[in-house]
Amino acid sequence: MRRYLLLIVALVLVLAGCGGPAQKAEKTQVRWFVGLGAGTDEPTIAAQEEIVKRYNESQDEIELVLEIVPNNQAYQTLATELSGGNAPDVVGPVGIRGRDSFKGAWIDLQPLVEKYQFDLSIFDAPMVDFYRNPGEGLLGLPFAIYPSFLYVNEELFEEAGIPLPPTEYGQPYVDENGKSWPWDMDTVKRIAMKLTVDQNGNDASSPDFDPQNIVQWGFGIQWTDARGIGTLFGPGTFVAPDGGAQIPPHWAEAWKWVYDGMWKSHFYPNGPYGSSDLLKNGDWFSSGRVAMVHCHLWYAGFAEINFKWNVYPVPAYKGKTTAKMHADTFLITKQSKNPDAAFKVLSYLVDDVAGELCAVYGGMPAKKELQGDFLETFFAKRWPGQEFNLKVIQDSIQFADNPNHESWMPSFQEANTRYNQFTDLIFNNPDVDVDAEIQRLKEDLDKIFRAAQQ
Amino acid sequence: MRLWEYRWGLAFIAPWLLGFLIFYLFPMVASFVFSLLDFSLADPGATTFVGFVNWRRAFVEDPEVLASVGRILLFALISLPIGMLFALAVALLLHSRYLLGTRAFRTLFYLPSIVPFVAAVIIWQGVLNEHTGWINLAIEGITGLDVTGTDGIRWLADPRLIYFTYTLIGLWGLGNTIIIFLAGLQGIPIELYEAAQIDGAGPAQRFFSVTLPLITPVVFYNVVIGVIGLMQYFLPPYVINMGSGFPNGMTNFPMIYFYRQAFTYLNMGYGAVIAWIIFFLGLFFTLILFRTSRYWVFYAGGGEES
Repeated sequence: MRRYLLLIVALVLVLAGCGGPAQKAEKTQVRWFVGLGAGTDEPTIAAQEEIVKRYNESQDEIELVLEIVPNNQAYQTLATELSGGNAPDVVGPVGIRGRDSFKGAWIDLQPLVEKYQFDLSIFDAPMVDFYRNPGEGLLGLPFAIYPSFLYVNEELFEEAGIPLPPTEYGQPYVDENGKSWPWDMDTVKRIAMKLTVDQNGNDASSPDFDPQNIVQWGFGIQWTDARGIGTLFGPGTFVAPDGGAQIPPHWAEAWKWVYDGMWKSHFYPNGPYGSSDLLKNGDWFSSGRVAMVHCHLWYAGFAEINFKWNVYPVPAYKGKTTAKMHADTFLITKQSKNPDAAFKVLSYLVDDVAGELCAVYGGMPAKKELQGDFLETFFAKRWPGQEFNLKVIQDSIQFADNPNHESWMPSFQEANTRYNQFTDLIFNNPDVDVDAEIQRLKEDLDKIFRAAQQ
Repeated sequence: MRLWEYRWGLAFIAPWLLGFLIFYLFPMVASFVFSLLDFSLADPGATTFVGFVNWRRAFVEDPEVLASVGRILLFALISLPIGMLFALAVALLLHSRYLLGTRAFRTLFYLPSIVPFVAAVIIWQGVLNEHTGWINLAIEGITGLDVTGTDGIRWLADPRLIYFTYTLIGLWGLGNTIIIFLAGLQGIPIELYEAAQIDGAGPAQRFFSVTLPLITPVVFYNVVIGVIGLMQYFLPPYVINMGSGFPNGMTNFPMIYFYRQAFTYLNMGYGAVIAWIIFFLGLFFTLILFRTSRYWVFYAGGGEES
């Protein structure tokens, strides 16, 4: 009897220990994954944490948990989380490439939009439709757009005594002799060679130029892939009308232009130089050693630039200008255990704090009422005391690429790996038969696309 | 056997048995089932049964599978002999009675093995950097040759060098192999050396006629373990290049290709087939080694390994 009594006392004590004061209701946890797009660079982290902190303080229903993964690891991390059944709830900001790398992983937001009567009219209707995929529904709500343009290191131009590029689309380039040239890839190459300098101070147009010891380059397309490079010469797609693969001829031209720029004319950083400490491990423009860099608006959101710079128009190719565009969104995974709570968070991000977040990431808000003076406010705050050609950024929007260089392909990641092998090859080998490799790329992509059709 | 002995026996092996069932047998069965499915991890709800379509793709339609196997075999031909010779040489050095501070050296040579290999690979990545790595800078400093930069020695980017570079990185983690060789060397009776010396055998003869034959079981063990390890070779190419196959696809080994298909492209069904191919490859080469061992592995007393 005594033993039973002791057992009961022990159980009561254990239960009392577990209980404590009246417990608060558990908050629903929503995990927000940042990494596939902008948002992993150091200056953006604190701002995102602050937004999460404020959200959590305002809530007794949802607890928002931020997961920030560096961009170069984010694809693998998310894939591993998906494969382990441990996917986050909300993912973003993410571009089309990031989204379509995980085709099938996202829920259709339309039912939740209707259930919570989310007002889609705060966005331009075409931007909403941009995220509607046949058969999959509304994959994401518009958040931010990032036009591309040229970032120009004005100090390097001044040092070389070379006139700066034109300040508006449609204007010609006027050289040091007062002669006008169309602002196109030929002109870019010519001035880029003059801006490329070896350690003895010779530029790339000089016969004494030493390509083994370059310390400054004229031009580069920063942080993009084969499709991004090709798009500088015009929009296109690897997917042929019959579902097989094609190489748009102007993309082949672009790749050969870059290859020539790396290994023959030397004005474009090749693989070994491009990933070296000299060029800040790939952050070419911030290194101060590349005079002109083609990149997107998001770069201005976090870049650490310690010299005089400005934004300039994208050069044309054969009279046509293409300024590739990035558009970011937020998504909810199919594995989300709480899609309703996740949608509330998503609504908060694309609506309530969209302006604040866009300012952090350097993206133009997709929410119409925020677009007005975004650029002026953003640049005044991020780069105080400097004047920028902001009209160039706005005008770049009208040259956006369609089809977009990040658009979906069959077996997206596999195709992506294959064409990255192609860029690895041409960026790292000075003796490549580029035409033969392009043909091989086409054949391999064709196999990948056709396998996906089966 | 009495019943109670039988039950106790079962009870004692139950943890291993459970572990085997849960962590080996079940995943293997599941992996085979996956290989018959069109199963994307991004969209498990859309999984469909496709029979042997994935198997046909691997064996008939996808040249990358065979190419990746060819790459690992080429790498094995380079790295395995170099690794074995290096480990044996170090073991002989550590076994030598002329070496002062033997214990300290044994510790030093084993120490890298307990450094997490990911950390070691990242350190090597820095050491081998073509612009700023210590190795290139040292070569440049000593020889005066211009070996840094684009036209220098690109340890991690030159397709002609990459397998040697990975072999070099692999030497870092050979502590266990060295210890096993050392144990083998220490197991050779001293009388055999004395007898050989009385018969007039020099150091080289003693090594080739006494040491080497008597450590062939150890060599055999290390080679088998090495081959199995190489079939699963993954970490250095994954850490250095995120499994991209760089340079020129040279590091797209079977395990890398498996990981890419399963966890990057999220094709779990096809990935499972590649995992099975890796398993069969390991099994095939191990069987070959066992079959040939009778011709080159010698056991003390002349007995043949059953």
